[in-house]
Amino acid sequence: MKGRLRNSSALWLGLLAVVVLVLPLVVTSRFAIDIFIRVLLFAFIGVAWNLMGGYAKQLSLGHAAYFGLGAYTSTILEIKFGISPWIGMFAGGVVAMLASLPIGALCFRLRGPYFAIATIATAQVLMLLFLKFRDFAWGAEGTTIPNLGSDPLMMQFDAKAAYYYIALALLTAGLVITHRIERSWMGYYLVAIGEDEDAAEAIGVNVQKIKRDVYLISAFLTALAGTFYIQYIYFIDPNTAFSFNISVEAALVSIVGGIGTLWGPVIGTALLEGTSALLQSWLGSSLGGVQLTVYSLILIAVILWRPTGLFGLFTDSYARIVHRKPVGARQAVVDG
Amino acid sequence: MAEALVIRNISKRFGGLRAVQDVSFSVNANETVALIGPNGAGKTTSFNLITGFHRPDSGSITAFGRELVGLRPYDICAHGLARTFQVARPFGGMTVLANVMTGAFLRDKKPDIARARAREAIEFVGLSAKEHTPARDLTTIDQRRLEMARALATEPRLLLLDEVMAGLNPAEIDQAVALVGKLAQRGLTIIIVEHVMRAIMAVARHIVVLDHGQKIAEGSPKEVVANPEVVRAYLGSGYAGAAAHGEMTC
Repeated sequence: MKGRLRNSSALWLGLLAVVVLVLPLVVTSRFAIDIFIRVLLFAFIGVAWNLMGGYAKQLSLGHAAYFGLGAYTSTILEIKFGISPWIGMFAGGVVAMLASLPIGALCFRLRGPYFAIATIATAQVLMLLFLKFRDFAWGAEGTTIPNLGSDPLMMQFDAKAAYYYIALALLTAGLVITHRIERSWMGYYLVAIGEDEDAAEAIGVNVQKIKRDVYLISAFLTALAGTFYIQYIYFIDPNTAFSFNISVEAALVSIVGGIGTLWGPVIGTALLEGTSALLQSWLGSSLGGVQLTVYSLILIAVILWRPTGLFGLFTDSYARIVHRKPVGARQAVVDG
Repeated sequence: MAEALVIRNISKRFGGLRAVQDVSFSVNANETVALIGPNGAGKTTSFNLITGFHRPDSGSITAFGRELVGLRPYDICAHGLARTFQVARPFGGMTVLANVMTGAFLRDKKPDIARARAREAIEFVGLSAKEHTPARDLTTIDQRRLEMARALATEPRLLLLDEVMAGLNPAEIDQAVALVGKLAQRGLTIIIVEHVMRAIMAVARHIVVLDHGQKIAEGSPKEVVANPEVVRAYLGSGYAGAAAHGEMTC
C-alpha cells in the first residue's frame, strides 16, 4: 500500500511540475504572472519560516530582519561595489546567518509569546538602524536599483517569466531542503522540541543547539527571498525591506496552510495571496479594501474550524476518495 | 559490587523551601532501588538533580565514574542516564514509533537504524500493535509504556522511573511491575520513585526513604517497613498488618 501511495504522489508531483513549468508560457498576462511570482515568493518565505516556526513551533514574528538584511546586502554590494546580485544573494544569506546567532541567543531564552515579541523587536530595531544611518544605506529615502535593461548576470530581465522561474527555483529548493530535514533525525528533533522541550532534553536532544541550527537555515533562505524581491521591484527602502507585513505573512501563510507540514505554506499562500490579489484587481476600485476583509474572513474561518491548517483537509479528503473510507479531521501526525 | 551512582550530600533550596537537604545514597550496578516518602519529600527534586534539570546548591553526583553536577540533561542522557516523568510527557503529535525513534537518534542518526532500534524498544514494552497510533490517543498505561520505550531507545545504563504506576488499576500495576522486572533482568540499574508499596516490595532490593527533603532511613524492604520512623512519617501505623496481606497500596 505504501508503494502505491508513493507512486500516486510521484504522479501528482510530476503533474504539478509540468503545470507550474508551462504556466508562464500559457498565461501571458503580465498581471497574472505578477500574482504567480508573489505567490511563489511568499510561499518560499513561508517555507523558510515553517522550518523553525512550524516544525519546532518557535513562533517568530521577526523574519523581516533576514529578508531586509538579504535585500540590503545584495543591493549595497551591487550599487556600491558593482557585484552581481547573484553573488550578493548568497552574501546576504551569510549576513543573515551571522545576524541570527546573536538574535537567536537573545530570543531563545524566551518561550511562547515572549519569544514572538522579542523577534518583532529585532526586526524593528534593524529597520530603525537603516532609517537613521543615512550614509550607510540611503536612509529613509531608499534607492532605486539602476535599470540595465536585460542583463541576466545582474539578475535583470525584460521578460517577467524569468522572475517567475527564479522564484519557482527558490521555492523548489526550499521544499527539497524541508523534505530532507523532515525525513532526517533533525526533523524528528524539531517536532520533539515543538512538542515538549524538557522531554526532548531528557532523551538527549541539545535543544538550544538544534534551535540555533534551524534558525541559521531559516534566516539564510529568508535572506535569498529579500534579494530576489528587491531585484524584482527595483526599489529598496527600510520600510519595504524590513516591513512587519513580511514577518506576519511568513507566519500566516504557514498557519493557514498547516504549520509543520511540507506543503502547508504553499497551500496557505496560494489561497491568501491568490484571493487577495484577485479581489483587489476586480473590486479594488469599487470596493476599496475588500481584499483585506476577505483575507481576514479566511483567517477567522481557518482558526475556528481548522486550527491545524488546511493541509490536513487536503490529505484527509484525498484519503477518503482514494481509499473510500473516512479518515476524520485529524491533526498532523509524524510517523516513523 | 560496582557503584553505578553515588550521591554525596546534595542539597537544593527553592527560595525558603529546602527541597533536598544533605542527602547521600548510592546505587549499585544492576540493582533496583526505590525512593519513597510522602508528597513533598523531595523525590522528584532528587530525580531532577540527578538528571540535570536542576543544579544542586551543594554536593556531588557521580554516575559511572563521572561527575554530573553542571552537565545539561542531554549530556547526562548521552552518558547513559534516562528518565521518565511523573506526568507522562509523550510527543503527542507523533506516533508511538516516531516518539521512540526520536530517542533512538541519540545513538545513531540514520533513520533506518533508529527505526529498527525503536521497534525493539516498542516490542519490549509491549506496544507493537500501536506503533502507528498518535501518542496523544494512548491510554495512561500505554503512555507510560511509551515513555519507557523512548527512554530505553537512548540505550541507558541507569533508568530513573518517576511514579510510572500512578493512576493505574491493580491489573495494570501487575503488568507494570512485570515490565520493571524485565528491565532489571536486562541488566539495567533502576531507580524508581513510587507510592504503590505492593509494587515497591516486588521490584526493589533496596529502599531509600525521604521525608521533608532528608533521608530518614534506608535498607532492605523488610528493614524499611519495620523502621518506626518510616511508619510514622509515611506508611502509617496500620501498614504493618495490612502489608502482611499484600493489599496495601498506600
